[in-house]
Amino acid sequence: MTRGWFLTAVLSISVNALAAENVLRVSAIPDEAPTELQRKFQPLGAYLEKATGWKVHFVPVTDYAATVEGLAAKKLDLVWYGGFTFVQARRRTGNAIPLVQREEDAHFHSKFIVASGSKAKSLADLKGANFAFGSVSSTSGHLMPRFYLLKNGIDPDKDFAKVAFSGAHDITAKWVESGRVDAGVLNESVFQKLIDEKKIDVTKVRVLWTTPDYYDYNWTVRGDLEPQLIEKIKGAFLSLDYGKPEQKKILELQRTHKFIPTQPENYRSIEEAAKSAGLLKD
Amino acid sequence: MVAIIALAYRGSEGDFGRLFSRDSRATLIDFALGFWPPAHDPDFLFSMVRPLLETVAIAFLGISVALIFALPLSFLATSPAVTASRDDRPGPARRISFLAARLLLNGMRSIPELIWALIFVRIFGIGAGAGVLAIGIGYAGVLGKVFAEIFESLPRSAAEGLASGGAPPLRGFAFGVLPAAMPLMGSYALYRFDCALRASAILGIVGAGGVGQQLELSIKMFDYHQVASLILALFVLVTGADSASQRIRKLLQNSAGLLPIFRAPVWRRTGGLIAWVGAGALAIRFLEIPLSELFSLQALRSAVSYVWAMFPPDLDWSFVSALGPAILETLSISILGTAIAAVLGIFLAYPAALKTWSERVSDQPNHSAGLLLRRVASWSARGVLNLCRTLPELLWALIFIFVVGLGPFAGALALGVHTAGVLGRLYSEAIEEVSGGPLLAVRSGGATDPATFAFGAWPQAFPQLVAYTLYRWEVNIRASAVLGVVGAGGLGKALYVSLGLFHHHRTLTLIMVIVGLVAGVDLLSGWLRRCAQQAGSSEALSTRFAETMEAQLEQNFEGGYR
Repeated sequence: MTRGWFLTAVLSISVNALAAENVLRVSAIPDEAPTELQRKFQPLGAYLEKATGWKVHFVPVTDYAATVEGLAAKKLDLVWYGGFTFVQARRRTGNAIPLVQREEDAHFHSKFIVASGSKAKSLADLKGANFAFGSVSSTSGHLMPRFYLLKNGIDPDKDFAKVAFSGAHDITAKWVESGRVDAGVLNESVFQKLIDEKKIDVTKVRVLWTTPDYYDYNWTVRGDLEPQLIEKIKGAFLSLDYGKPEQKKILELQRTHKFIPTQPENYRSIEEAAKSAGLLKD
Repeated sequence: MVAIIALAYRGSEGDFGRLFSRDSRATLIDFALGFWPPAHDPDFLFSMVRPLLETVAIAFLGISVALIFALPLSFLATSPAVTASRDDRPGPARRISFLAARLLLNGMRSIPELIWALIFVRIFGIGAGAGVLAIGIGYAGVLGKVFAEIFESLPRSAAEGLASGGAPPLRGFAFGVLPAAMPLMGSYALYRFDCALRASAILGIVGAGGVGQQLELSIKMFDYHQVASLILALFVLVTGADSASQRIRKLLQNSAGLLPIFRAPVWRRTGGLIAWVGAGALAIRFLEIPLSELFSLQALRSAVSYVWAMFPPDLDWSFVSALGPAILETLSISILGTAIAAVLGIFLAYPAALKTWSERVSDQPNHSAGLLLRRVASWSARGVLNLCRTLPELLWALIFIFVVGLGPFAGALALGVHTAGVLGRLYSEAIEEVSGGPLLAVRSGGATDPATFAFGAWPQAFPQLVAYTLYRWEVNIRASAVLGVVGAGGLGKALYVSLGLFHHHRTLTLIMVIVGLVAGVDLLSGWLRRCAQQAGSSEALSTRFAETMEAQLEQNFEGGYR
């Protein structure tokens, strides 16, 4: 009897929790520390709530691949993806829609960094080094750097003494600064932020090489979300105005001045790069 | 043996020079100084509360789930002979279910919790639910196996009597076997709860809830003050759970059996059950586990499709052959780690045991200064052992990565330090338990403490120490298979990469390799243990219940299994 009562209570509690309607579940790939992601998202979440009339719930995540599975399993509605995770999500779901991206994301770069005392002058000098990528699934922390390393005749699996995945861009920077690894690669926007916020000592690290342009991050929605809602979300992002103080704050936390529309075709080259680097299999 | 350890040293890129180099010393000193003061701003302390509670709740629910799975499986996995009358032969269905249950339990057990968590996070999404299931499935394997062994080890007269009276196996089991086994099972489950607490403290690293995520982040970002607070909190938590469960185990041992006839104990049992279910409900609510989603058709479908997508395993030669070095590395880490632990463990076990047996063999009166010194040495050695034990291997690995750099050597050191905590305690208890005769004989010849230890205690305890060490090697191979997830070498890295890139077929290959490796080490170590035992003295404890040995000594079961 008692046990039955408790089970009923538990079930009703959980059902009630889920029954709340019109909740937009938002997440982001954990390319930075999760606390940082939450902080970045808060004002944007409040803004989206107002603009769409839906309650916005941020789901913190520590695993890139889980955001992809989350979208496919309809547990997430709107996700901030990197270029490569978007490609994975698109292949996994078939209908994920990339909505908008920051203007910087249309010509994004990765930076290879070394300790300032390092003798390396070009990528070729990194042979035999201990090297840190970001996350395995990261575009700017793994895929594109790997692609360009291979293009420059360096096979990370053979030519580096040791390859480590730090998990996030800010950690990669810390590792190079502290000498834990000889070199590492990270996304230019996080690197700039670390310098601006004096979280990294610019006298201790220097940039060795910067990649050519590529398309990166975007905000993606589930393909089977109501079209009206999708339009509302897209409109909300596009109408963010750097001139308005309230919205300027949101944009600054996203480290941009403006969001622009994007489309799946923009990510073809990422998909090709992933295939040629052996990270995507057919 | 020396050759094997030397090979393992090379295989895991061992370099004690690096460990004690000036760079490493500086890092260590930085680390130690950075610990003081522990982060204590209210914001951070407050932010610690929820993850810590989550860790406890995950361990609690995980062990509850494990029990739910383990009970029926352990019944199926018990030799059919237990519930059959003497001249009755169990039917083929019973035999097949017996074998299937054994196989299933072994499979569940061979895959480390962290890998279960990695997989469940992907199937069921980020969050505590994945952590609960990971502990639930992994521990169900261990609990089921140990329970089955308990059932088989009990006197069989009751069940036999019921069977010859015509009772079907299930009824014979419920009335003839279960009541006598309950206290032992409860004891073991409680012991496993302590382990689950440590396990759930690291599941956060892969996104399965709890304090692990914050801990990994603080370590990786060099925020030593925060690391210090988190480690302190974890230490208090684990030690607290340890002593609480010891107390409950004592109660269980002195309890009146499963079905007491007095009213008060019946109420107490009902109360306990209600409290348990209530706590479970609270934990589910606190962790915000979406039960209806977890048990939905959709969840089942996504689980099946996830597993289905893994088949067939990727047997492409270029991939498989590249695994060779990683396998050797994993093996090397586990061997070197266990060897380091054995050496450290002995050095710590000696002072830890000093108090007890200096009391037994000392010819000096109790109030001498020497005795006080021994007590101090004993308590501090125990403190160190507890600290080593409290932090799981993976956390030690994160720390050692900063001392000796990324790679397998950090993994071996991490295994070594954590296991030293476990082995040191087991060793010291084994040493304390040696029979007094030889000790007194050596002592009366005028031997000093160390000499008494070397000539009186060591030869007696040796076979048992070997058995414990081999047993820990079996545990360590599981751990070393996942150390790569945080960058400490071995197969774990390949697994982390293949999971991250959705290379499902490769993931399956890797899981198969890990299961094979674990099973191989289990077999080898079991065989070695039997050899050591036959060669050793008859003092050696029965190693029949390899998994329970640790529990056995930890709680000083008297007579339970022996």
